[in-house]
Amino acid sequence: MNWDGLMEKKDISNEEELFLFPKWTNGVPLILALSAVIGLCTVVFVFWYWFSPKNFNIGFAPEQPIEYSHELHAGQLGIDCRYCHVNVDKGPAATLPSTEICMNCHSVVKTNSKEILKIRESFSEGKKIEWEQIHRLPGYSYFDHSQHVNSGVSCVSCHGRVDLMERVYQVEPLSMGWCLECHRNPAKNIRPKKYVTDLSWKTENPEQLGKELIKKYHINPREDCSACHR
Amino acid sequence: MNRVITEDPSKRTPLILGGHDFKGISDLVVKPIEAKAPKWWHIALAFSFSLLMLLLSMIGFLIWEGVGVWGLNNPVSWGFAIVNFVFWVGIGHAGTLISAILFLFRQKWRTSVNRFAEAMTIFAVICALVFPGIHVGRVWVAYFMFPIPNQMSVWPNFRSPLLWDVFAVSTYFTVSLLFWYVGLIPDLAVLRDRAKTKIKKVVYGIFAMGWTGGNRAWQNYERAYLLLAALAAPLVLSVHSIVSFDFAVSQVPGWHTTIFPPYFVAGAIFSGFAMVVTLMILARQLFGMKDIMTMHHLECMNKIILATGTMVGYAYGMEFFTAWYSGNEYEAFAFVNRAFGPYAWAYWIMVSCNVLFPQLFWFKKVRTSIPAMFVISIIVNIGMWFERFVITVTSLSRDFLPSSWGYYSPTWVDLCTFLGSFGLFFTLFLLFLKFLPMIAISEVKGVMPEAHAHDHEAKEGH
Amino acid sequence: MAISVIGEFKDPTELLKAAKQTRKAGYEAFDAHSPFPIHGMDDAMGLKGSILGWVVLCGGLTGCVAGFGLQAWVATEAYPLVISGKPLFSYQAFVPVTFEVTVLFSAFAAVFGMFGLNKLPQLYNRLFKHKSFSKKATSHGFFISIDSELSDDEVSIVEFLKSIGATNVSGVKE
Repeated sequence: MNWDGLMEKKDISNEEELFLFPKWTNGVPLILALSAVIGLCTVVFVFWYWFSPKNFNIGFAPEQPIEYSHELHAGQLGIDCRYCHVNVDKGPAATLPSTEICMNCHSVVKTNSKEILKIRESFSEGKKIEWEQIHRLPGYSYFDHSQHVNSGVSCVSCHGRVDLMERVYQVEPLSMGWCLECHRNPAKNIRPKKYVTDLSWKTENPEQLGKELIKKYHINPREDCSACHR
Repeated sequence: MNRVITEDPSKRTPLILGGHDFKGISDLVVKPIEAKAPKWWHIALAFSFSLLMLLLSMIGFLIWEGVGVWGLNNPVSWGFAIVNFVFWVGIGHAGTLISAILFLFRQKWRTSVNRFAEAMTIFAVICALVFPGIHVGRVWVAYFMFPIPNQMSVWPNFRSPLLWDVFAVSTYFTVSLLFWYVGLIPDLAVLRDRAKTKIKKVVYGIFAMGWTGGNRAWQNYERAYLLLAALAAPLVLSVHSIVSFDFAVSQVPGWHTTIFPPYFVAGAIFSGFAMVVTLMILARQLFGMKDIMTMHHLECMNKIILATGTMVGYAYGMEFFTAWYSGNEYEAFAFVNRAFGPYAWAYWIMVSCNVLFPQLFWFKKVRTSIPAMFVISIIVNIGMWFERFVITVTSLSRDFLPSSWGYYSPTWVDLCTFLGSFGLFFTLFLLFLKFLPMIAISEVKGVMPEAHAHDHEAKEGH
Repeated sequence: MAISVIGEFKDPTELLKAAKQTRKAGYEAFDAHSPFPIHGMDDAMGLKGSILGWVVLCGGLTGCVAGFGLQAWVATEAYPLVISGKPLFSYQAFVPVTFEVTVLFSAFAAVFGMFGLNKLPQLYNRLFKHKSFSKKATSHGFFISIDSELSDDEVSIVEFLKSIGATNVSGVKE
């Protein structure tokens, strides 16, 4: 039979030849059933894997208004994180450094560089430098930097080896599942408080040390909803 | 009507009137599908379709603006969305009850109304599913409700009655749809074999799946239908019980009672049957199905409305008794507040619509009068909507702390959304009336006296 | 080439009688088609009971185990969270969802099991080539169809169906 004339509103009741589905249509339901199963699995996979920050956010490295290098400042020069991110051990936000902090040095250092000129401009005109935010937490969650830093969780646990990065990029997914992983089993991310900003610090048995420190610092990370969703 | 009164009490009322043969039944049921749609159908469709558009635009507005456009406040954080959800799910209980429970009890009169009621069930449950879907606020994360692996490592909380509800209602919808579809297969085959255009042949042909009516297939088919009925019967009772757990498992006075599951189930059947009666009166009148949907059927339905309405009235009384007998002052206050508090108007609408009016069905004259039953069936559904409103809102508006007491009134968005849900319901229903047989053709034929083979030879063998 | 021969009968009583005679005559690949199931036809055709119940039992048990297992795994392994001070494995709370999943899986087993046993959907079927059959079988006609792998049998089957009172008898080829 032919499929042409399907849309014709012709009365076919008196035609000699009866309408019949072609024989190949008997194979179609099996194919449809299989593709439904495969389609369903694909949807779940898409949500679980592809929609994940693991896939979307890791490696996010936006261009910044000033070509500032953490590798130079924090790595080669060894400036402590807290010199610029002044609030990181004092409150919820780590805070971006104000232009004044940059000017502490750059009023005398490399004053003729093209990039430094932008800082001087911002300083003299009182205009904010529009840094691009890289690390974003999932919506409706509360995070306190000081709580973590003062419990011996190093910057490196969430931000990676920033001291080796020419331009900062995201290394961890910062997803809820990833947060929970550490809240459930924090030992390997706890170190002596004095090494918190030493990104290259290593110890022989971090798990063992972490367990001891958890006892010493009385660390008991919360896992209930209102810990973060306040 | 005289027929009913003068009938011989030793004989059962015939289920089909008018002396139709097998072909006559097919012709009669298929007529609205094959004939050109009447004018009133087009007008009704246009009207309900515009209400459906209203629903869609309200949902769009809600998603765009956020749930602040609704009248919800603190402490009344559950308003129209939950009321409408429970209202529609309740209506959606009649179909499966008729199909499953009456099937298991061998109530043959169900064959004339089951298809109709099942369709109504499915459309009502679709309307119900809209509301919890949109009330979560961020609808794009509604998939959190299902146990799908996700990037947050979050899994649903299976100890929450709200999640039980997700499973109960979605299972109920799926099983009702399967039940409805299985019942439709032989009738779709009738439509396929009668189709006069190729497009109809193809579309009905695909959905009829190549049904030939062979007895080898009937054997498995009947077994499948019986098993589905056996599965759907406890399911239909579980669904509204679980809906009632949404309230009963919490600790709010007026909600936290063990009477809720049976009380909700009776109320659901009550409202569902009322809706079926309303729609049946219209359909049998407008499509001329009086020979199949007879007065006998309507009377049976009205008797069930009377029985369940009385159960609901009993539950209303018993709630007050428990509140008093418990000696719990919060519980006692909740009920005094219901009857005499700021929502007393809603409470008394509920009592008069649900308890008083259905009692008129004690009189045979009332239960066999089309205008009377039409009005009462609509009153019952108004009352049942108010029942859910009273339960949800009165308890919430009076918190444990008098400092957080409040009053809830819906906004225009609430009202238009509710109105729009009727548009969705009636659009689907009108399309059903036009494109699918509203009566289970093969089942009706099966209960006709001619359908029984008089097999004397077989008896000798046994 | 496989063929089927189809013959029409007057009413359910005639069909029942014909089915019995067809069985007695030794035909095995035959079926009785009617617009509604006819009481007593299974015995007349000598059919064994449907095995669908066992399929549904398997489906239900799978659903029961899967539903309960999922909840137990979620509550104790995947997302352990203390709620209202209850133990993680608070199985009492898992009853409603276990019940619903059991019913859901059983219903799937019933419907798709029935499709499987009846080999549906089968949009093409050579029986539809018989004109009277394709117009009446689902509405008000009563038919016996007898299948054969050999087209040579056609004549003898036609003879047989006519002998037991069938009208409109003719064979259809694959």
